[in-house]
Amino acid sequence: MDMKREYFEDVQLFGSGTIIFWFVVLIGGLIMYPFLFPNYYVYVANYMAINVIVAIGLNLLVGFTGQISLGHAGFFAIGAYGTVALMSLVGLPFIIALPLAALIAAGFGFLIGFPALRLEGPYLTILTLGFGLTITLIIGKIEILGGRNGLHAPDLSIFGWQIKSDLDFYMLLIPITIFMAWFARNLVRTKIGRAFVAIRDADVAAETMGVNLAYYKTLSFAISAFYTGVAGGLYAFVLRFIEPELFSMIMSITFLAFIVVGGLGSIMGAITGACLISWLDLQLRNILDVPYLGDWLNSLSQSYFSITGCLNIQYIVLGLIMVLIMVFEPLGLFGIWIRLKKYWMTWPF
Amino acid sequence: MLEFFQMIVSALAVGSSYALMALAMVIIYKTSEVVNFAQGEMALASAYFTFMLLEIYGFSFISAFILAFVFSLILGAVLEFAVLRRAKEPNLLGLIIITIGMEFIILGLVSWKFGADQQVFPFPIGPYDSIEIAGTFISNLELLSFAIAILVMGVLFVFYRFSKMGMAMKATQQNPIAARIMGIRTKRIMMLTWGISAMVGCVAALLTAPILLEPFMMWGPMLKGFSAAVLGGMTSLPGAVAGAYILAIVENLFGGYISIEFKAVVAFAMIVLVLWFKPSGLFARHYVKKV
Amino acid sequence: MKTRLVVILSAIIAVMICFTGSAFAEEGVTGTEIHIGSFGPQTGPAAPWGAVARGSDAYFKMINDEGGIHGRKIVYHHFDDGYNPAKTKAGVKQLQESDHSIFGWVGGVGSAPGMAIKDYLMDRKVIWVGPSAGSFAWIDPPQKYLFPTYPLYIVEAKALVKYAIETMGKKRIAIVYQNDEYGKNGLAGAKAQLAKYGMKLAVAIPSNLSETDFKPHVSKLIKSKADTVLLWVAPGASARTIGTAYAMKFKPQWMATSTVSDYPFMYKITRGLWAGVITAGFNEPLDADVPILNKYRKVFAKYATKGERWGTFFVAGFGFAEPLVEAMKRAGRDLTRERVVTELENMRNFQGSQGKVSFKPFDPNDIYSRQGQQSIVIFQCLKDGKTKKLADWVAPGFDPKELMH
Repeated sequence: MDMKREYFEDVQLFGSGTIIFWFVVLIGGLIMYPFLFPNYYVYVANYMAINVIVAIGLNLLVGFTGQISLGHAGFFAIGAYGTVALMSLVGLPFIIALPLAALIAAGFGFLIGFPALRLEGPYLTILTLGFGLTITLIIGKIEILGGRNGLHAPDLSIFGWQIKSDLDFYMLLIPITIFMAWFARNLVRTKIGRAFVAIRDADVAAETMGVNLAYYKTLSFAISAFYTGVAGGLYAFVLRFIEPELFSMIMSITFLAFIVVGGLGSIMGAITGACLISWLDLQLRNILDVPYLGDWLNSLSQSYFSITGCLNIQYIVLGLIMVLIMVFEPLGLFGIWIRLKKYWMTWPF
Repeated sequence: MLEFFQMIVSALAVGSSYALMALAMVIIYKTSEVVNFAQGEMALASAYFTFMLLEIYGFSFISAFILAFVFSLILGAVLEFAVLRRAKEPNLLGLIIITIGMEFIILGLVSWKFGADQQVFPFPIGPYDSIEIAGTFISNLELLSFAIAILVMGVLFVFYRFSKMGMAMKATQQNPIAARIMGIRTKRIMMLTWGISAMVGCVAALLTAPILLEPFMMWGPMLKGFSAAVLGGMTSLPGAVAGAYILAIVENLFGGYISIEFKAVVAFAMIVLVLWFKPSGLFARHYVKKV
Repeated sequence: MKTRLVVILSAIIAVMICFTGSAFAEEGVTGTEIHIGSFGPQTGPAAPWGAVARGSDAYFKMINDEGGIHGRKIVYHHFDDGYNPAKTKAGVKQLQESDHSIFGWVGGVGSAPGMAIKDYLMDRKVIWVGPSAGSFAWIDPPQKYLFPTYPLYIVEAKALVKYAIETMGKKRIAIVYQNDEYGKNGLAGAKAQLAKYGMKLAVAIPSNLSETDFKPHVSKLIKSKADTVLLWVAPGASARTIGTAYAMKFKPQWMATSTVSDYPFMYKITRGLWAGVITAGFNEPLDADVPILNKYRKVFAKYATKGERWGTFFVAGFGFAEPLVEAMKRAGRDLTRERVVTELENMRNFQGSQGKVSFKPFDPNDIYSRQGQQSIVIFQCLKDGKTKKLADWVAPGFDPKELMH
């Protein structure tokens, strides 16, 4: 969109003074947030932050490298169970357990990358789907991980700082999220990131130019799994209790929805998509309390539909949002943003 | 030995419902390369529609079933026309998300209208009456499913091979622009494809509903159908059916002899293995991308 | 850190509030209202269990009609968590930390959603009565503010096995159990009771949650030549299993848990195959002509929405809320959480629509100080869907060590 006149401009983190300004405003907003809103909203923010990390990771795989994955709930589970197990059974501190569990998830990602080299489209979908389901089944069988009864996350403390309340988690999560986003943004601008994009756009051409497909595809899976593993580990502590059924296919589909609705191939898009959909996920149960809409839905239920099933409207609203955004703007939320920018920049033409 | 036969017979029975869902998905994929995740829910809507006709309005079986087919045909066509076609320059993932969104919408509507409790679906034959053949049991409903699955496959085969409309569909899949030039109305073909796929799904749902009618009943068959279609090859109709039966047999044999809990795992492991050697499935032709 | 200061200040204020009696209102209580919360899956695959929260809603409306509790009306908040613990936690937090806050929680369907919020509520010393899951985790270890009344699944299994062997003279007992805590508790109970007679299970077959094809399971059952089969799976799966067994001409004595004790419903969805099934139950049969159920039937007619069914889960919603309401009545006008805890601990053989509920003063080593109901009834489904009571309120007794296997 904006013309880059030299290599440095393409690589630098902040494109211009304006962007730096708005970034500072964002950071300021994030710091002020928990003091302006009640505690419940801090919990919601924590949940959204975890989903943002997953979305960024998945976007690296799907948006930038052009693969598909419907099994990321599996990596999420490995991260969650790995962290809790390493802390409870092996006794490692959180600081070490979390990256280690994420590395284990990355290892599995790397393994999945191998069969994925030859597959595309629905075949790759089934492979990743099968992986996700298999992981939950296997975890369910391992008794020391609590089996199907689930596992309680132990108390969390880093160097003596007890992390118990939502505010504590917020202060832990936001820096981690910002760091992961910054890392991804830089990654995209390096040789690795460009290799990913080359694979997405024309993999045969990329190979002829010297991009080692096998290496970069598996690397992409591994990095994406690492991100998801980190998010999983954090999730286990925000929720305090994990069990295999949580990491279902629906979770994988939701992850995919984050990035597709937000905008594939764009980190900002992944962040906004994750924020929007996870917020909807948590808040839609209150849909009947919305002033006019709620009453109208209630009366509709009385006459044509059942009241007992009234809250299924959540599904309908979620589905509608997904369909409408994708139909009218295949580039997702980020695409809408780009269009707005273009409109304003080229006005009055 | 008897146990082995029983397992095979059960597998053939269960495989029939997978086969129908797999067929429905392959029909759409063949023509437009879209993985239709809403397949199960489209079938579900038809089943609940029939339920409504039978229970609340008191239609007879024959008229209700015929109306159900018409309903599913229209539902499929309308979904394609109103939703899929409106998508501008869609990529594969975008289409998948659109179908998933449609799935949620239909599921929400059905659950909203009918509530979450299981219901009894009136059906001409009882779901659990069975006959005994040489010591193995097969229920009447399962026999019917098997027969209908084969019948549907046969009808589709004849349709694609010998009818003008079927040939038009194949042409649209192979080269849409050339097809348009030759006078084929590709947009109508697309709507018809979705309609036929929805009808096949409707058959599957009507055969699943008599056991237990509940909003989430099609999730399992759809997933298995999708896996079967991938196994057999997403562009091959006989492949989809063969894939479904192979999947069911392997699952049942493993479940019977080794472990029931890991049935699903073994199914996926087998698919991964097959895909390793034949990346486009067992029976489909693998098109190597030409540069 | 600032957080620590805030926490300490809040703690001091909270303690002050507790000790100053009626000078300050308790959290969730005003001069005219008591706020009670609940949750359940109103959507999603577990949606049939949503009827519990709706039943409690009708019950509280009935209490309000009768004048409330010492001049206060009950304001009932319940939300849909879709059986997703993240949503459960979000909803509980939102309600608990809202302006009006919540005095106590009743019901709440599911072990996993419940476990996600158990620590949160216990840390804040919020009362929770009657979680709708008979899981052992509620009393392992017992929590001061958590009062489960759902009879333990282990106890149900033991009672059923005991009845099968001692009264019916069965010899080979098998179990099909769901692959989660619910099923595994049943398995443990059955094994423990059988061990008392020196017997073992003929076969134990696990079943995945979303299983729809039960032919492998039934084949294994037939192979084991069981004459009794315990069904520890969800209602849909139970219906499918029995149907598949019927198709394979296998007719053992089926025994199941209280979750499928809704005979009219199960009879309908199995098209009559449910006849002969024996289940455990924790309330009187739904079609019984007892005063309390007649009263509730009138409440159902008045308050239940169109399409609601007079079923086990709906009536259970009444039962799980009864002990809390009774304790609040006994606590009097000066309503604090500590007083309600005391009243609950003093409760002996309180009987509402479920079994006798008794608690004891809190003892972290005594699970019976916090397990309200220990006895169950045993019914059998008759040929026309009606119920016949086989055994009245049996309490086989249970030792936590039996869970270690």
